[in-house]
Amino acid sequence: MSSLLQVQDLSIDFRDVRAPGGWQRTVDQVSFAVQPGEIVGIVGESGSGKTVTCRSLIQLLPPRLARVSGQVQFGGQNLLELDPPALGQIRGEQIAMIFQTPSSHLDPLMRVGEQIAEALIVHRNMSRNEARQAAIELLDHVGISEPARNVSAYPHQFSGGMRQRVMIAAALACRPALLLADEPTTALDVTVQAKVLDLLRRLRDEDGLSIILVSHDLGVIAGLCDRVIVMYQGRIVETAPTRELLRHPQQAYTRKLIHSQPEMTTPGQPFPGIDPGINPDLDPDIHNKTAERIDSARSNPAVASASIESGGQDLLVVNDLQVRFRQPSSLLSTLLRRAPRVTRAVDGVSLQIRRGDTLGIVGESGSGKSTLARTMVDLIQPDGGSIRFDGHDLSALSDAQRQTLRRQVQMVFQDPQSSLNPKLSIEATLSEALRVHQVCPVNDIPQRVQALMQRVGLDPALANRRPHQLSGGQCQRVGIARALSLNPQLIIADEATSALDVTIQAQILNLLMHLREQMQLTLIFISHDLSVVRHLCRTVAVMQSGRIVESGSVEQIFNAPQHPYTRQLIEAIPTLD
Amino acid sequence: MSGQIYDRNGPVDSTEPSDSMPAKPARRRLSVTLITGLLITLLWLLIALCAPWLAPYDPLAHDLTATFQAPGAEHWLGTDNYGRDILSRLIFGTRIDLQMGILGVLFPFIIGNIIGVLSGYFGGLTDTVLMRLLDITIAFPFFVLVIAIISVLGPGLNSFYIALALVGWVSYARLTRSQVLVLKHSDFILAARVMGYSPLRIMLRHLLPNAITPAVVFSMTDVVLVVLLGSSLSYIGLGAQPPAAEWGVMIAEGQAFIATAWWMCVFPGLAIVLLALGFSLLADGLAERLGTKA
Amino acid sequence: MERFKFVLYRPLQMIPVLFGVSVITFILVQMIPGDPVRIMLGSRASAEVIAATRAQYGLDQPLLVQYFYFIVNLLQGEMGRSIIYRAPVLEVVGERVAPTLFLLGYALLLSLTLTLVLAITAARKQGRLPDQLVRVFCTVGLGIPAFWLGIVLIIFFSVRLGWFPVSGFGQGFTGHLHHLFLPSLTIALALAPVLTRNLRATLISENEADYVNAARSKGLPESYIFRRHVLRNSLLPTLNLLGVNFAWLIGGTVVIETVFSVPGLGSLMISSIFARDYLVVQGITLVFALAVIFTNFFVDIVSAMIDPRIKL
Repeated sequence: MSSLLQVQDLSIDFRDVRAPGGWQRTVDQVSFAVQPGEIVGIVGESGSGKTVTCRSLIQLLPPRLARVSGQVQFGGQNLLELDPPALGQIRGEQIAMIFQTPSSHLDPLMRVGEQIAEALIVHRNMSRNEARQAAIELLDHVGISEPARNVSAYPHQFSGGMRQRVMIAAALACRPALLLADEPTTALDVTVQAKVLDLLRRLRDEDGLSIILVSHDLGVIAGLCDRVIVMYQGRIVETAPTRELLRHPQQAYTRKLIHSQPEMTTPGQPFPGIDPGINPDLDPDIHNKTAERIDSARSNPAVASASIESGGQDLLVVNDLQVRFRQPSSLLSTLLRRAPRVTRAVDGVSLQIRRGDTLGIVGESGSGKSTLARTMVDLIQPDGGSIRFDGHDLSALSDAQRQTLRRQVQMVFQDPQSSLNPKLSIEATLSEALRVHQVCPVNDIPQRVQALMQRVGLDPALANRRPHQLSGGQCQRVGIARALSLNPQLIIADEATSALDVTIQAQILNLLMHLREQMQLTLIFISHDLSVVRHLCRTVAVMQSGRIVESGSVEQIFNAPQHPYTRQLIEAIPTLD
Repeated sequence: MSGQIYDRNGPVDSTEPSDSMPAKPARRRLSVTLITGLLITLLWLLIALCAPWLAPYDPLAHDLTATFQAPGAEHWLGTDNYGRDILSRLIFGTRIDLQMGILGVLFPFIIGNIIGVLSGYFGGLTDTVLMRLLDITIAFPFFVLVIAIISVLGPGLNSFYIALALVGWVSYARLTRSQVLVLKHSDFILAARVMGYSPLRIMLRHLLPNAITPAVVFSMTDVVLVVLLGSSLSYIGLGAQPPAAEWGVMIAEGQAFIATAWWMCVFPGLAIVLLALGFSLLADGLAERLGTKA
Repeated sequence: MERFKFVLYRPLQMIPVLFGVSVITFILVQMIPGDPVRIMLGSRASAEVIAATRAQYGLDQPLLVQYFYFIVNLLQGEMGRSIIYRAPVLEVVGERVAPTLFLLGYALLLSLTLTLVLAITAARKQGRLPDQLVRVFCTVGLGIPAFWLGIVLIIFFSVRLGWFPVSGFGQGFTGHLHHLFLPSLTIALALAPVLTRNLRATLISENEADYVNAARSKGLPESYIFRRHVLRNSLLPTLNLLGVNFAWLIGGTVVIETVFSVPGLGSLMISSIFARDYLVVQGITLVFALAVIFTNFFVDIVSAMIDPRIKL
């Protein structure tokens, strides 16, 4: 059987003034083939070169910045040597591409129908009317309802999933033989992701389309692809049929990748072979520090009583919490007596978490989970209901008492880089809280900072660096260290690992599990990723449209989900089976 | 600490923010633009400081035996209708024009940034009132409002500075406010609030250093605009008053003689262009280095 | 057409701004040092006459009442009398509107032509010689004082070559075109660097935008992509910048009218300042502010027609 696409020794260099010779090798000697009707997955973490490889196949990299060598054989031609007119005959016509963020890859000023039709007008010489008809059919084909009406809509009127369908429709307009799909579902919610993946599978089965699917998510790749290419730092590590790769990975990196998947590990256990980055034996401070925390809690009358009799008691109780967002009303709206638009972001949420427990809150984008988190750390004032922390009603406290109590609840944020002040060194970030709240004598601050860094597995030598000089994983460790600096009882982590690569995620999860035990922390972990929640948490609450639709122990929720939405979410998890 | 395994740029953790494209090569070195701009600006500062030693003649001394002399060995840039040496007037004029540019930017910069941070951070009524005031101010053409204010206060440089402080803050308030509005919701500000820091600390230590960059870059361009404005006003007769050796005044004095003594107009104008060029390049270079739009 | 409702609502939103503008112009005249009546009647007027005039103009009333009269008169088109021209301000101002409007339109046309040509050339030849030249033009051009440039143009084109008149408005349409060419060119040369710089940067960044990459992956020709996607998306920011710069453009005409002795609103404003004819200054300030407010309204409408995302 002859290959549809044959890539031979593909190498890509990017312009980089700091590199020797001014060029930095990003992809090195990559070779692979795609057969007709086959779905090939390329999986890798950030910096692996998977996306760049995919774009280079049809010369989409800017020539000023990137140098591509090797061969890409397709239909008897080397695509890398084609001039623009010949390339125009291939792009869109025979090889099409879809991208990660459909919102930015559609022209905001052009109707979706026109964006599908323009390829037909250029390649097939269709009239505007014919192309419009074809666009309507294509929209129908990719599952957009009311295609005849929606063909005239603008991209901003569509949801993320619909936009990705439009992009697929535009890519398929000229019936290409090969579709390059670059992280096509990464920006989408799990339930939408499942539908888009179904669509891609259907297009292969019905139309015989070949697909190269690039993704960081092994679960997505496993569910769709016939064969998997594993890339790491610009090289192909391993290529094998999907099943074989998952069952018998040959290379150490592939094994590590598979072991980092939360669903491949026993829930609650550290990821095997993934070092959390710390060595408990070398951190003698930990037990002292824990004792100290209890001491400081004792000396603080507001929290003392609760701290002593720990164990199984509710630390945080949220009762019928309401948060509404109002559209800011202009003077004009007031004059016209227009009712302000109100969004119920959190709509009657009640939950409790026991001391030492780990609660997972899962939901898709717009479910209100982040708003709930921010309300619990007092960043947003609730419009109704109550929050009791350690037996104290937050709304009934004076500002000073509330400030003291508030230090007991800390937060870890999603984007590790942006959660740190870019102008401050790590040392400055970590010492600020110690200084402001006079946690310890000024002279002790340097040692405390060093101890904090060690506790989260950061080399104290990094103390003088700024956030942009650290990796994402390191920044997230700083974020955790900052949260720990005030010796809190409760840590709320809002999507704390979703911006990280899967192996880094595994490290951070290991670290969190380790700290939870060492410091007897109570943890609320908010995530869209059910497998991470299943791995880390003991109890789970499922949120949808500002309400908690179901909650219970991890076993209850995942083994016997009651609510249809929970079931839908769990079914949508991409699995490695 | 030996034997401890740290998370230091190990192979696994060499994460870039995104995988889609390698980041553009960062420009760490000083660019040619920035250096050129810096040199030109420093040169002008030096000229202003050393004017008495650099100028060959008294800028105000009349010499009726040497009127309308064309550029030559005696007077490099010629003389004017009173026989005053153009070069010496240019050199002393640097003092006035540079001072106009710097003071004319300094007051609006301070006022505008304070208003921008307060307005952006607190929002609500503070923001509404301040932004209404801003809307009203920008409804007037900048130049027209400035001359209207000066006409009320009386011509002169002091009126010029007052008028600019009253009107010029809007650009800075707008720039900094829009930065603050974005930064206010960023995770590191939320983190600072969760840590229980006071609003003053959050504004001064966390918001301002990060929000002020575009305002700083714009202030360089603004120096250019203010020098142009100041010399225009002096040209019209509302800024520096004759016989002061100010470049705009010199151009106004020369306009009557353009047919015979072109040098009276041309050289002061070139001086303005060169002074402006220094700050323009400084603005471009800073924008490039700090990664903001000019 | 739901989103075009704001053509009706937006004028209502302008009311607070119009109110503020009227307050500021009113206060400006109140702040004038010296007694307005004494300025109006001259120093030799008797005390009785002064008192009578004061009463006649309501100047003995509290400030708030005076403001009320100011607004009532304003709404009737009554802006007081010019002490120099001995005529109603509205009439004096009205006679000078045409040259200024002509100059503004002319300058706008020249700047837009210049901007489009320069920015598109630079963006399409990014990094090469034409682009470098355009960038030099933008950096240097930003710092050229317009009034001086006007004088240099006069020295060269009027005094030396004699192609264009030194000053004035001229007779008839072609006369206006001829007389106002140098003033318009001066303004255009001062405005074009700002606009060109912005449009060039926008074109280049839009040319690397995700949706342009997507269009390339569809095999569309570069020229089509530039026309249909890049240019259309770049015009909006430039249009908004033009709206912001319109206020600046008006300021430019004030100086340039003085340089070229064009009998427009700007030169009238300057001469009235020196003649202490404050009611004329007030009137012109008000007219200019109204022009800016309505231009921005117009820019908002055009933006909404280009961009479907803009709503009220």
